[in-house]
Amino acid sequence: MIREFLKTCCADPSKFLGDWFVLLPATVLLLAAAASVVMRNLIHAALCLTLSFIALGIVFIALGAEFVGFVQLLVYVGAVAMIIVFAILLTRPEQLARSGSALSGFGPAGGAAVGFLALAVLLGFIFSSPLAKKPLPPPASAPVAAIGEALMGDHVVALIAIGVLLTASLVGAAVIAMEDKP
Amino acid sequence: MNFPGSGIVKGLAVTARNMVGSYFEKDRLTTEQYPEERPKLPENSRSFPFLVYDGEDAEAGMRCVSCKICEKECPPQCIFIIQDRDAAGKALKRPKVFDIDISVCMSCQICVEVCPFESIRMDTDYGLSSFDRFGSLVLDKAKLLKSNSYYQSIHPTEAAETDARLEADRKKKEAAASAKAAAAQKATKAAEPIKPEAAA
Amino acid sequence: MDLLERAPIELKSWLLNWLGSFGVPEWILAVLSAVTVIGTVIGVFLGLFALASVLERKILARAQNRYGPNRVGPFGLFQPVADGIKMITKEDLVPRAADRVVHFLAPVVMMVPALMVLAILPYGRDMVPAELDAGILYFFAVGAGTEVAVFMAGWASNNKYSVLGAMRAIAQMISYEIPLVIAAIITAMISGSLSPSAIVAAQGGFAFGFLPQWFALTPWGFTACLLFYIGALAESNRSPFDLPEGESELVAGHLTEYSGFKYATFFMAEYVGMFAVCGMLVTLFLGGWQAPLPFLAIVPTWCWFLGKICFVAFTMIWVRATLPRLRIDHLLAFAWKFLLPMSFAAFFSAACWHYAGRGPLAWLLSLAIVAIPYLILGASFSDRFSVSRRTYQFSE
Repeated sequence: MIREFLKTCCADPSKFLGDWFVLLPATVLLLAAAASVVMRNLIHAALCLTLSFIALGIVFIALGAEFVGFVQLLVYVGAVAMIIVFAILLTRPEQLARSGSALSGFGPAGGAAVGFLALAVLLGFIFSSPLAKKPLPPPASAPVAAIGEALMGDHVVALIAIGVLLTASLVGAAVIAMEDKP
Repeated sequence: MNFPGSGIVKGLAVTARNMVGSYFEKDRLTTEQYPEERPKLPENSRSFPFLVYDGEDAEAGMRCVSCKICEKECPPQCIFIIQDRDAAGKALKRPKVFDIDISVCMSCQICVEVCPFESIRMDTDYGLSSFDRFGSLVLDKAKLLKSNSYYQSIHPTEAAETDARLEADRKKKEAAASAKAAAAQKATKAAEPIKPEAAA
Repeated sequence: MDLLERAPIELKSWLLNWLGSFGVPEWILAVLSAVTVIGTVIGVFLGLFALASVLERKILARAQNRYGPNRVGPFGLFQPVADGIKMITKEDLVPRAADRVVHFLAPVVMMVPALMVLAILPYGRDMVPAELDAGILYFFAVGAGTEVAVFMAGWASNNKYSVLGAMRAIAQMISYEIPLVIAAIITAMISGSLSPSAIVAAQGGFAFGFLPQWFALTPWGFTACLLFYIGALAESNRSPFDLPEGESELVAGHLTEYSGFKYATFFMAEYVGMFAVCGMLVTLFLGGWQAPLPFLAIVPTWCWFLGKICFVAFTMIWVRATLPRLRIDHLLAFAWKFLLPMSFAAFFSAACWHYAGRGPLAWLLSLAIVAIPYLILGASFSDRFSVSRRTYQFSE
């Protein structure tokens, strides 16, 4: 029985572990996200958040969206996690070991309740929208080229708007960081 | 031609010339690969003292007479001498024990300067390290005795000068001894009563 | 020479067929096929690492008019064995107040991306371990893991100097990643694909029958190659960008509290990363596994790839022997004020070259678009660091 199972694994890697190909990184993602909320040490929490970003990237890749998965790794792990880490290091380097109770205030019950409420609202809107009713288009043969053509063709206005926004933020950061001449 | 980045290109050219030249020009590599190639030390370099003996037999030709002047004059007091005594207890003119602790010796050469018998001189050997912390750094008489020919090989000018001086002293002593002997013979001859002429 | 060319692939399939003749089931053969490829690639690169560690010292020594290590083995080539024994037998010290888990994981997180990144490089004709449609993106995405490792190493040591060193190292890596990625994107734009094999194929053929059509031989490609090269030097923390790990700077920066095998792992990750990014440079700009002249194609393609990687690594060692270390503010100014505008200029130049028809006019136009910003930016840099009269802001 194990032999059959492994035979299907290696013939088609996405059938490796069956549905667990996606569910395993998804489980790691949920556990890492929960850990990053619960942990006391702020740097450990930031590292667990980074692990959740990596797990999310792997989930995307396992679902067949390679481009999005790699971009997730590149942007979130390479840039956003670094920003979080720098922000922590530059603002409060001394008092990181004991950063107080992580679950104070309303307590874990209140937080979980709010989280589930938000999830319910989101899922309700997603499943009642036209997005859930449309059939999935077949996966493109050259996905990267398809993404490129979509960005430059149908969604070029959004692309240029985002470019302007990023340029503005870059110029603003440079202005803020410029030295004051005497 | 001074475009931005030309300094880097010139630097790369210099390094490349070094890299290639180090294989072809012999005078670029100044490394002396110890222990295969030893540095050429000047003649009067010194490391630690040793005892000189003349001739073949170390114990018999030893110049040291155990006068203990070097022991007294040594600033860190690293020399230890016990004079030899014969069976009857009379002191002999040779050391029974002559130890130098080279972990203490500071190579000041004062023992050499004060020795009246030209018997202690400075060696040039520096490869004396050992794994044992103190024991093997105390050199006893057997390790310290080295022949005059060894001394001549390491310090030729000094050895030649010492030998000449010793030779001159020996000649003077011989001359004095022979003069004394001649004078003594003459005295005994003069002191003999004049024998009468042979009786008839 | 076709036999030699296909030797590695033939060898692997012969081995698998021989095992299959014993009745070994299919799935084991599939696993073994993957394992052999992975093992060969990692083995070759670790061997290159060992050789590079001693050859680098010898080449640096010759550039400084002295011998390198020449005691262990013929011409000192067994020095890595001695180094390995030393590293393994050293005591593994972890400071008492250090974060043990993170301190332990940092070398692991550093080494894994460095090895994973070797999967997409085309080592020869049809010799890519993993044929990915978005290979270039995979390369940079996985390379981002290195920055997390540097931070973990600096933080976990619980040492102010390590934290400072780690912050500087991360700032350097992030700043130089942008020209690196833009230079890679230029080649992807011209070849129309993010897959390394497609980019190598786009550099195939010979103009006028004998000139190679590598991207590095075009004006924009030469600029992009230099940008990628400088970015590669900075990403692997090599001189002149080795401020994070120079011995005279902050002790060893983020590596201060590491000794023994963990330090050896960091060292290994740095060298393997250097070779991986050399491999990427060769793939993107120097034609990958292709021979420079038609009659040289008898040499097997994987030999060409290895040879080109070794040549680029040699130039990196040569640059290390020549240039002094850059200070952190010089480093960052160079990245943001010189390399970034130059990368945009190269991007624009490549686009103009393509749309002007790739003819002689296009070549002149692209050369002008790259050369003019270079001269202007270069001139602005030479004035910036001149000595002027000091003004004291707060003491008057």
